[in-house]
Amino acid sequence: MDSNIIQLILGGLANVFIVLLVAPFFQGVLRKVTARVQSRQGPPIWQPYYDTFKLLGKEDIESGEAPVMQRFSTYLSLASILTVACLVPMGFRTPMNGAGDAILVIYLLTLSGICMLLAGLAAGSTYSLVGISREMMTMLTLEPLFAITIVIAAVHTQSFRLDTILNGAIYQTAGFPVSGIIMLGVMLLSFQAFVARVPFDISEAETEIMEGPLIEYSGPKLAIFKYAQMVKLIVFSALFIGIFVPWGADLVFPFGWLIFWVKVTVLVLMVTVLAATHARYRIDQAIRYFAALLVVGIVALILASNGL
Amino acid sequence: MDARERLNQLKEKFGPAILRSDFPNDSRLYVYVEAQSLKAICRYIFRDLDARYIISIGADDRPYSGDFMVFHDFAFDKDKIILSIITQIPADNPKVDSISDIIPGANWAEREIMDMFGIEPVGHPYPKRLVLPDGWPDGLHPLRKDMDWNHVPKDYDENREFKFGETPPGCTVVPFGPFHPTLDEPEHFRLYVEGEMVRGCEYRGFMVHRGIEKLAETVLSYNDIPMMAERICGICGCVHSVAYVQAVEYAAAIKAPPRAEYIRTIMLEIERLHSHLLWVGLACHLVGFDTLFMQSWRIREPIMWMAEKITGNRKTYGLCLVGGVRWDITPELRGELRQLLDKLESEWIPVVGAVIKDNNIQKRTRDVGVADKQYCKEMGLVGPVARAAGVDIDCRRDHPYAAYDRVDFDVITHDTSDVWGRVVVRAKEVFEAIRIIRQCLDKMEPGPLMLDIPEELPVGRIGISSIEAPRGESHHFVITGENNKPRRWRVRAPTYQNLQGVPGMIKDQMIADMTISLGSIDPCFSCTDRMETIDIRSGETKVWSHEELVSLTKKSLK
Repeated sequence: MDSNIIQLILGGLANVFIVLLVAPFFQGVLRKVTARVQSRQGPPIWQPYYDTFKLLGKEDIESGEAPVMQRFSTYLSLASILTVACLVPMGFRTPMNGAGDAILVIYLLTLSGICMLLAGLAAGSTYSLVGISREMMTMLTLEPLFAITIVIAAVHTQSFRLDTILNGAIYQTAGFPVSGIIMLGVMLLSFQAFVARVPFDISEAETEIMEGPLIEYSGPKLAIFKYAQMVKLIVFSALFIGIFVPWGADLVFPFGWLIFWVKVTVLVLMVTVLAATHARYRIDQAIRYFAALLVVGIVALILASNGL
Repeated sequence: MDARERLNQLKEKFGPAILRSDFPNDSRLYVYVEAQSLKAICRYIFRDLDARYIISIGADDRPYSGDFMVFHDFAFDKDKIILSIITQIPADNPKVDSISDIIPGANWAEREIMDMFGIEPVGHPYPKRLVLPDGWPDGLHPLRKDMDWNHVPKDYDENREFKFGETPPGCTVVPFGPFHPTLDEPEHFRLYVEGEMVRGCEYRGFMVHRGIEKLAETVLSYNDIPMMAERICGICGCVHSVAYVQAVEYAAAIKAPPRAEYIRTIMLEIERLHSHLLWVGLACHLVGFDTLFMQSWRIREPIMWMAEKITGNRKTYGLCLVGGVRWDITPELRGELRQLLDKLESEWIPVVGAVIKDNNIQKRTRDVGVADKQYCKEMGLVGPVARAAGVDIDCRRDHPYAAYDRVDFDVITHDTSDVWGRVVVRAKEVFEAIRIIRQCLDKMEPGPLMLDIPEELPVGRIGISSIEAPRGESHHFVITGENNKPRRWRVRAPTYQNLQGVPGMIKDQMIADMTISLGSIDPCFSCTDRMETIDIRSGETKVWSHEELVSLTKKSLK
């Protein structure tokens, strides 16, 4: 076999492995910092690992209406988000360079969202149906924002190649990168929603609809969904860093790598503090908020197609 | 206008229909009326005299006078009068004209009378079961004197179900409860939802009714009941015990010593402090703002410690007996309480600031769960819900009890009628409670805690006591009886009325607003159901069937 391909596969697997390893740790950091903000002691930083192991070891109860679909959507949600992890640089260059382009990333991210819809639909509970209708509304207004960001980067470099897009292509204009700066603002303002945290955890809203789509899930399936959410936080952070703040990734091994994780930590802390200081939005308020951002995004897209 | 003038008003209008009347003091008026003109009189009092409807109460008086009795209680808040319209219903034809069509807030009370006494409210708009379980046999009425307190009906039909109304076209049913993370206790709301909008709602509660009132009039004595009353609710227990003993004291025309009254006032306000802090935290949790939830509860905790120091318990103070209180506030505790209040005040100011300035919370609470002045009157809504709609009522000022006539405080009102208004009212009431406790500590003088009551309490007398609980007016009604126990004791917790107002508040709102709208009345289902909740967790993994659970319960009772 071509040594290049082996390298590719190993690189991809390394990413998957790292993400799986550190995702619960960042969740632990998030919980600990939240607790501190709330004057609480908080759980140990390793608690998410214990929780995940505990849930994985529990009896797999099939309580929904379509068990096969439920299992399928559970595994697929984690799988699709891990596939994205293979394609995104995490302190190294893009490992599977050439294996997929930016369009694939958009598809895969949408797929993981759709898995959530499937999971809720298959569970068949009234609450999960309310949850997925909210999730669907959120997706419809939120996904275009991410697509616009990718497209703007692609317009600037005339390429959908991941290694350019995830390397600051959004700023590569002839003059001052107006559209890139605008999208940086837009994505910062909507980042919380992409990782589904307060104030945008509307589709799960424990105190309203009891975790929405996840209401019928317990044991290993719940563990996998929760794991997928933790991974999502890291993968979206990595995407954000690749698109908007890629600098420092080219440094020699430990430094570039360290700088990357420092950036992830900063993003996770931002998410934590925002979540701890806000009340949950209602779905109509959130949609209005996303729609406003979408308008700004479209303006940025027009600017970008005019070379700004 | 005093009680006599109110009575003259009624006599002028209805003349012979007023059979007799009684006003034991300036603040209570009991009027016996003819059953035929009951409805007209109630309409006149509620509509023309603009009284506030409190509650309707049934009583089985057959062993004594041969009749059933129905009491409709009203309040003239500005005149400081509580009025009870009393009707005697013949035992062989237990029917009474329903007043629910003129006073919508009487809906539950009349259904309860129907369930408990079998007195049929003729013309009731929604004559379904309220309190009794669905499988309970027809024609068996627990509060009738001829039913034993431990009677277990033989022909209980487990398969009979409650018949809900038709689902409106285009709507799906979203069951809210009996178990839901934001309901602490089992209650069932059947929401009719169109998309995200709630179009209607039906309620079925009283799933954990324990028959406390029946126990009180059969197996307990006057001084056992305060302990039982306290266990009606885990949040505002002290309110119930004080309200009960006051009702008995009113009936027997005795008065607790001044020091006891001050101590009652202090403990009631301590209870209000912890309850309001708890609620502000909970409301923040309901809209997903957990940081303020945690901070508010952190600030609340020392209040619980203080209560424990004074009474030996964080909650369930065991404070009241008829004629006084059991715990004293020693000089050391007085100093500590003062320090606690100072600290509490300094910590609460920034929280209130954070809540009031927070744009995010306002977005979730403004124009949500609206109950305006008119709606409050129709449904008899009380407490912060009414005050947030600008209805200026507060039993502490309007029907003063304990030491409230000797302290100075403001009644907080707001004009938005929505959840936001209720947040503001409760947040500010905390400062008033602190003010009241401080004044009590200043004014309290040494003296006896208990009144010596050597002889039996008089029999067959009515006692009514209204108390401003953290959630609104808590109304206790007592008829004194033989053998050192009351003939009838009726508790009307504030949630009993406020919960009836919820369907109107959540109609045509988004489903996301349901929890905060319901939460905004600070529902206390246990008060409404008059029960206790007990949570037992076993380590065993076993799925119990309904029959097994029932047989288990019966075994443990033997």
